[in-house]
Amino acid sequence: MMSPDERHERLSRIWAPPPGILGFFTAVNHRVVGMRFMLTAFGFFLAAGVIAVLMRLQVSLPFLGVLSPEAYNQAFTMHGSTMMFLFVIPFLEGLGIYLVPLMIGAREMAFPRLNAFGYWVFLIAGVALYVAYLAGYGPDSGWYNYPPLTGRGFRPGANIDVWVTLITFLEVSALVAAVEIVATVFKHRAPGMTLNRIPVFVWAILITSLMIIFAMPALILTSLMLGLDRIVGTHFFDVAAGGDPFLWQHLFWFFGHPDVYIMLLPGVGAVSMMIPAFVRRPLAGYLLFVVSMLVVGVLSFGVWVHHMYTVGLAMVGLNFFAAASMLITIPSAIWIFSWILTTWKGSMPALNTAMLFALGFVIMFILGGITGIMISAVPFNWQIHDTQFIVAHFHYTMVGGVVLPIFASIYYWFPKFTGRMLDERLGRWHFWLFLIGFNVTFLLMHLTGIEGMPRRVYTYLPGLGWEWLNVVSTVGAFIMGIGTLVFVWNVFRSWRGGPVAGPDPWGGRSLEWATASPPENYNFLDIPVVRGLEPVRDGRIEGDESGAPRPVWLDRLGEAPEGWRDAIVTGAVTAEPQGRAVFPTPSPWPFWSAMALSVAFIGAMWTPWLVPVGLALTFACLVGWHMQELPAGEGARKVGTSPRDGTSPRDGASPRDGRTDGISDSPPGSPPDTLPWRLTGFRSPITWGVLLLVAIETTLLLLFVVSYFYLRLGHETWPPAGTPVPSLLMPTVGQLLLMASLVPAWLGFRGLRNGRVRHFLVGVATGLGLAAGYLVLKALEFAGKDYRWDTHAYGSLDWTMGGYAALHVVILVLAASTFWVRALRGRVHRERRTGAGALLIYWAFVVAGSLLFWATQYLGARW
Amino acid sequence: MKAPAGSVLRLAPRRLDPRRLVPRRLVLALLPLLAVAVGGCGGPQSILGTDNPAGERIESLWWVSVLSTGILAAVVIVVLLVAARRALVAGRGASARGASAPGASARGGAGDVPVPDDAWETKFLLVVGGALPALFLVGFLVFSVRTGTAVTDAPGEPGLTVEVVGHKFWWEVRYPDQGIVTANEIRIPAGVSVEVLVSAADVIHSFWVPALTPGKIDMVPGRTNVIRMWADNPGVYRGQCTEFCGTQHALMSMEVVAVPPDEFDAWAESRRLPPLLPDDDEARRGIGVFMATGCAACHAVEGLTHPGAAGSPGPDLTDVAGRRSLGALALENSTANLLEWIRDPHQFKPGVRMPPTPLPESDLRALVRFLEGLEWEGLEREGLE
Repeated sequence: MMSPDERHERLSRIWAPPPGILGFFTAVNHRVVGMRFMLTAFGFFLAAGVIAVLMRLQVSLPFLGVLSPEAYNQAFTMHGSTMMFLFVIPFLEGLGIYLVPLMIGAREMAFPRLNAFGYWVFLIAGVALYVAYLAGYGPDSGWYNYPPLTGRGFRPGANIDVWVTLITFLEVSALVAAVEIVATVFKHRAPGMTLNRIPVFVWAILITSLMIIFAMPALILTSLMLGLDRIVGTHFFDVAAGGDPFLWQHLFWFFGHPDVYIMLLPGVGAVSMMIPAFVRRPLAGYLLFVVSMLVVGVLSFGVWVHHMYTVGLAMVGLNFFAAASMLITIPSAIWIFSWILTTWKGSMPALNTAMLFALGFVIMFILGGITGIMISAVPFNWQIHDTQFIVAHFHYTMVGGVVLPIFASIYYWFPKFTGRMLDERLGRWHFWLFLIGFNVTFLLMHLTGIEGMPRRVYTYLPGLGWEWLNVVSTVGAFIMGIGTLVFVWNVFRSWRGGPVAGPDPWGGRSLEWATASPPENYNFLDIPVVRGLEPVRDGRIEGDESGAPRPVWLDRLGEAPEGWRDAIVTGAVTAEPQGRAVFPTPSPWPFWSAMALSVAFIGAMWTPWLVPVGLALTFACLVGWHMQELPAGEGARKVGTSPRDGTSPRDGASPRDGRTDGISDSPPGSPPDTLPWRLTGFRSPITWGVLLLVAIETTLLLLFVVSYFYLRLGHETWPPAGTPVPSLLMPTVGQLLLMASLVPAWLGFRGLRNGRVRHFLVGVATGLGLAAGYLVLKALEFAGKDYRWDTHAYGSLDWTMGGYAALHVVILVLAASTFWVRALRGRVHRERRTGAGALLIYWAFVVAGSLLFWATQYLGARW
Repeated sequence: MKAPAGSVLRLAPRRLDPRRLVPRRLVLALLPLLAVAVGGCGGPQSILGTDNPAGERIESLWWVSVLSTGILAAVVIVVLLVAARRALVAGRGASARGASAPGASARGGAGDVPVPDDAWETKFLLVVGGALPALFLVGFLVFSVRTGTAVTDAPGEPGLTVEVVGHKFWWEVRYPDQGIVTANEIRIPAGVSVEVLVSAADVIHSFWVPALTPGKIDMVPGRTNVIRMWADNPGVYRGQCTEFCGTQHALMSMEVVAVPPDEFDAWAESRRLPPLLPDDDEARRGIGVFMATGCAACHAVEGLTHPGAAGSPGPDLTDVAGRRSLGALALENSTANLLEWIRDPHQFKPGVRMPPTPLPESDLRALVRFLEGLEWEGLEREGLE
């Protein structure tokens, strides 16, 4: 065994983020990426705050000239878009990326390079949005962008293009982080951290990520449609050509309402970590609490129509959605009473700033909740919809329910991030200024709405009784602003010279408090073993000091015997050791891939031709990305030998060595020398990653199909008069070819598993040939159509769905060909086939998805 | 190697008196403010103080919901604050006891509470957080659904049908049965149920006259939505577009003028007659300016140019002189305002579609003279008040 000092030195070196400017662009460590997310997002928060103050100034009295109508419309669009997409979601993701591995006792996220990629996408999209805004091309039709106002006809300028392309681009970042977090939580928890021992915050981030996976595709699809309407002239939302603006509203709010809870849940989880730590007792009803979060996650997908009470839908439907919306009160009430019960039975030595923010959050959340109940009542909503009352309501939920817990989290975890405490006195000033300013701004805004002032108005006529209310709100906004500045000063000062915190200043009960502040590069010197829901007491992992059996082989694994960034992989449910995974070292490709992808998204504003260019560049970067060989492929053949091209070969230490003194300690079913590198099926994090990707894509496909039938139901005749029903022959033959391609491919992959590379080469080549046949037939079919995507909405659907299916086959062919070429060059074989299973899963998905589209396009047109 | 455990910080924040968790002075200061606020309700566009049965039912729903949820919230918040106070008191006691023990840190290692009864707590939460709110919500839902039904059950057959078409940024108003076209001002008989058919010519708008309609209804291109409007008493009621529709969404308002039914009939009857075109010289010259300058390309005047078809770019001006406002309530309708509006509407409503009209002063005056004369005989402008 190595001494702790030796281990520290060794692990520090292995996990060190690369130094220098170049290192800045290649770092992949989760804490580096998480901190970048949080800092960047907070910068956007400040920018959106400045915009908010300008807006408040403009409407404080009638006909002020602070902002022109155009500037005001850009301002409220930017404020909303920034707060949601550039602040809350990225900040909370950053918090999750930073804390989740620490809380589950891991050294890294499942896919570190993907993580870094997500940050670069976020940074590029956010900066581009603000560059466009400062250049006068800020989006100006609200964060919800209802067509037809946002169509080419009414908003010809680039403003809406900026929103459509950049926000869609940004969602790539959110989705990547979500996949990342889910895979990490399910595959990299410390041994012993069974599902019912996962900290509440991790649950919250996990549920949030799953919600992102199922909600964001709706936004991506609908902004894709709007982008196509604007850039290439399709008619998804154009009534005159058979489209429907309600399609946008349904898809947007199908994303938009879950989004509210996506923003809320992490804060709920964070506060539920703090309160137990501060009142020194476990969270009351942990299991019920987690179930309530799950219930909210599910329910939030069934309430989107409450944003559409006034569009003229049938009353029966509205009452259903009203009931569903009110139902969300119940899990929320369970949270609130759980916090109350925890506090009631707790013992709190001091009331510190983080706890003040947590209490403030609960109270503001209650207030936002009761106005939420009010506006879920359909008739009252009819009156109050789109007035300042709604603005007040959702700021109580979004500022009270999201920003306050974010502040609480910063006070609580700042010591962990920086090793220093935030100043408590400044913290109290911050809290009271912010809370009072917030209530001065928004409490009376309920009345402004009752008095009939609509939202999104840059001014109003005198004499409507709104002046004094607006003046008061503006004063409140300034108080909030001052409070925020106090906070910024506090962070600035404390980061440089605050009191040293030590590993555990609060008496925290989760694993992050059992490591140094800030944590060392490797997070945990020893791989923790978790024996309870709250494994940490007084900065130590419970059970460690009591002499409870701790397998020696685990400690040897924790020494990174091969000199790689490696980690233990555990089971999704009971967190039993299943194998080992090696993490990539720093890489420039995430940065370059994000840059290349930005060519596609940002370039689309100028010409659609830059989209294929950007995608091709991205593909090239991804090839480069995967050329960076992970050492595990080699190591897998002989567990424990040093890698040929490893970063720092070491003298033969291996898990097997642990055997001599550790075999009796090994948990049943996982003797140390059978902890494999090669993981397949649900044991492999890569499988989880690809299945989550497939979940995102499946959601997108299903929403596409739903959109097809939504537009179809709006038509008496379908396809529209003058357009022939599509012929079945050619598409069906193509579809059969594609389905047939799966058979040789599957045989080929099976051959590879059995060590027959030749079988693989032949099988996959045959499969690729069949898939190429599909593409040729698709091209011929569409070349023969006498209508185009810009002829009518039917044409838009037909061409877009055809193109979308074909694009997936192209991606499949490219990915499989690359893999095939590597196999031809002898770089893929039985022991080294990382990604083969993922590729086969993706192949099956593409076949299934195109079959679904085939049924929709060719059978749906006959129905 | 760095020491894994840094020096443990001694946290000694200023001890707050638990009784002062919420500064009482703050509460006392807010109370009169709230009283003033509630007392000040009932402005021209308030949803309180409506003038029809549907609106009054919604008002009751509002009062019931704000009082019931408000009381519940107040109770929960008080319980939360009491809980925090209890915890503080308990924590103080524990750390006071623990302070004498050697090695007790400010975190109060002695303050840990015993292992809780998890099953009991879950049951408690299910009852207090689950069942009780559920009971309340069922009652509230029933009340809300019943209100909704009562509000949408039309009060009898409609006595009048009005079509309103939303434009950027004004309202086209048509009376299909009476053959009347006007803009930004809807004249209805008081005490009669009016069926309003709404749609839009360009983007989505929303129709809302808080005092007379059960809330708002969106005006969507390609769709026709229906809402009932009813004024118990004669009067002028304000309405405003509530769906963001572009640059001048803010100044897209309208008025509903409810008059006694016989007065309404007289007005409708008078509109059957051909309009009286002005007969003085200046006004006649104004007609020439109107036709030559391009006004007629967007604005219709019955008897002079074709009556506006649905979707015409500008408001019908046949009765412009009789209207109370210009530019969808942006300005009061007066000679001086009309002249300035025509000269450059963007000084009042930047972003409006009507361009500035650079005309010689005399032409402008002639044009205004003509427009000012566009009024029906028998309709007193002041007679509406």
